[in-house]
Amino acid sequence: MAEVEIRNVRKAYGAVKVIHGVTFDIADGEFVILVGPSGCGKSTLLRMIAGLENISGGQIAIGKKVVNAVPPKNRDIAMVFQNYALYPHMTVAENMGFSLVMKGVQKAEIARRVADAAGILDLDALLARYPRELSGGQRQRVAMGRAIVRDPQVFLFDEPLSNLDAKLRVQMRTEIKALHQRLGTTTVYVTHDQVEAMTMADRIVVMHKGVVEQIGTPLELYDRPVNQFVAGFIGSPAMNLLSGGIGEGGFVSDKGLKLPVTVQGHGDKGRPVAYGIRPEHIRMSDDGLPVRVSLVEPTGSETQVMVEADSGETISCVFRDRFSATPGSTIRIAPHPNLVHLFDGETGARIS
Amino acid sequence: MNRPVNQIILIALLAGYTLLSLSPILWAALISIKQPIDAFMPTLSLDFEPTLEFHWQVWTEQGFVTYLRNSVIVAVSTVLISLSFGTMAAYQLTRMSAAGSRPLLLGILGMRMFPHILLALPFFVIAQTLDMIDSFPALILSMVAINQPFTIWLMRSFFADVPKEIYEAAAIDGCNAWQTFYRVALPIVKPGLWVAALFSLLLAYNEFLFALVLSGPNTRTLPVGISEYGAEDITYWSLSAAAAIGITLPIVIFMVLLQRHLVRGLSMGAVKG
Ligand SMILES: Nc1ncnc2c1ncn2[C@@H]1O[C@H](COP(=O)(O)OP(=O)(O)O)[C@@H](O)[C@H]1O
Ligand SMILES: [Mg+2]
Repeated sequence: MAEVEIRNVRKAYGAVKVIHGVTFDIADGEFVILVGPSGCGKSTLLRMIAGLENISGGQIAIGKKVVNAVPPKNRDIAMVFQNYALYPHMTVAENMGFSLVMKGVQKAEIARRVADAAGILDLDALLARYPRELSGGQRQRVAMGRAIVRDPQVFLFDEPLSNLDAKLRVQMRTEIKALHQRLGTTTVYVTHDQVEAMTMADRIVVMHKGVVEQIGTPLELYDRPVNQFVAGFIGSPAMNLLSGGIGEGGFVSDKGLKLPVTVQGHGDKGRPVAYGIRPEHIRMSDDGLPVRVSLVEPTGSETQVMVEADSGETISCVFRDRFSATPGSTIRIAPHPNLVHLFDGETGARIS
Repeated sequence: MNRPVNQIILIALLAGYTLLSLSPILWAALISIKQPIDAFMPTLSLDFEPTLEFHWQVWTEQGFVTYLRNSVIVAVSTVLISLSFGTMAAYQLTRMSAAGSRPLLLGILGMRMFPHILLALPFFVIAQTLDMIDSFPALILSMVAINQPFTIWLMRSFFADVPKEIYEAAAIDGCNAWQTFYRVALPIVKPGLWVAALFSLLLAYNEFLFALVLSGPNTRTLPVGISEYGAEDITYWSLSAAAAIGITLPIVIFMVLLQRHLVRGLSMGAVKG
């Protein structure tokens, strides 16, 4: 096991810069998730840690040792690819044991370690099969088994669950998390799915267009997003974000919707800001804002409701209580005043 | 639309086409077991006394076995050389950038654009200068030269289907460049290797022009050898037909033995993953 240090790391493909100086640390044994929209550079960063891409600038250290010039096989890492990248001509057991064969480990020792990993992942019955004889979920397990057998310093995962169906994905999330708790190996995990990030990570690194927007625990990101991008990206359904400015007694949206604000230090009247409130932080209240219901989506445990204010803003709300109003009817809603987020209208940075 | 009906029509058409393609061979087979008097009949008559006389003659008296041996030496050597070099080249061409590989691939293809007759003369001059007429190396190398573009392009298409993550997994698992090729890439394209081997073998085995120009009494291959069978002789047709069947026989046996591998290779590109 080892810590990973990423220092001002840059990546350019020719003249195209894709990572613009990223710095963060991963503690020994930590489960860190890189999350961000597609194309933001997550995979590139992960592949630089793995040694599959050259590092254009900055430094990456694994276990205190700078690895910029170290080839992948000497970095003592294991990687699970999105398409699993199993060797089609090898059985499950051979796939899992291949790295040990290459290291010259004794046959008996390889068999023992493969059997151990197979036991952990429930693959015992599949060891003699070829990848083409496995389901997607089983292939995914084999890919993890191949990583576990190496007993590496760091596990690297690149969207390992995105080829699985929804149910299996949820199940594997739990399993990967449990596996991490059991093995305690430092893990860097890439996903574009913020729910995956929120449910699995010790810490999340939110990336956007090649820069890190925020690093924090899932709840830190949820409670105090440092900017409008993180606010909109983390949380499901997404936070309502209304653009407008500071006006008389609070926030006034571009379309004229007035909302009270208790956030301190929001500055002068007329300052352009964005007002953020999570759908689950809106309550029904008799003295609230009158809005027209446009869509009702009950999930059983809660109800997601889209409403439209008189000024024309669409706001999404989530109510835990049973909801009886139908589309077209009018309800009154009130944002929880202490859970409002304000962001600078120009920079998008949090105001607090 | 009724699918079974469609399929029946399709199968009928394919069967008809197969029969049409095979008809010259069937005809040759018939001629090879006829006496010249029957063979010269303009109709495809089945009313004759079959004889294996000409097959016997071909295999025992006409130097056929020597030619066959020469052909096997040339064809097998050509396959071994062009396949091993072609496979390595094809692999590397799929691992390098498209910008780097495109000019090379087109250049290799350019080789194939020349009619063989255009190459035959320079090959002859080169071989003569090196005093290599009627030697196996000259014959084999000329066949490798015309074969190589094909093996490279064919093998390249098989390697191109291998996802790059497989190579990356191999790099992480500890393979160096050679091990990645030999232990990972090569086994994956093995079915393709059989296809490339068969086509190279056929090309070298059937090659006539270079063999005619570069071979001599010691190296004469089957196509050249049987072309010289008694042209004025009355038995010419039957003998030639028997030889033609004889020359096909080793290939048919080869195909039957390897058909499992070949079918897998031929259909490999169709179903990825
Ligand atoms: N080999 C490459 N050459 C040029 N650009 C690339 C290459 N690989 C990735 N990119 C670009 O780098 C950016 C980040 O890619 P990637 O790390 O794969 O994003 P993510 O994994 O976050 O979806 C994208 O804009 C992509 O187009
Ligand atoms: Mg990616």
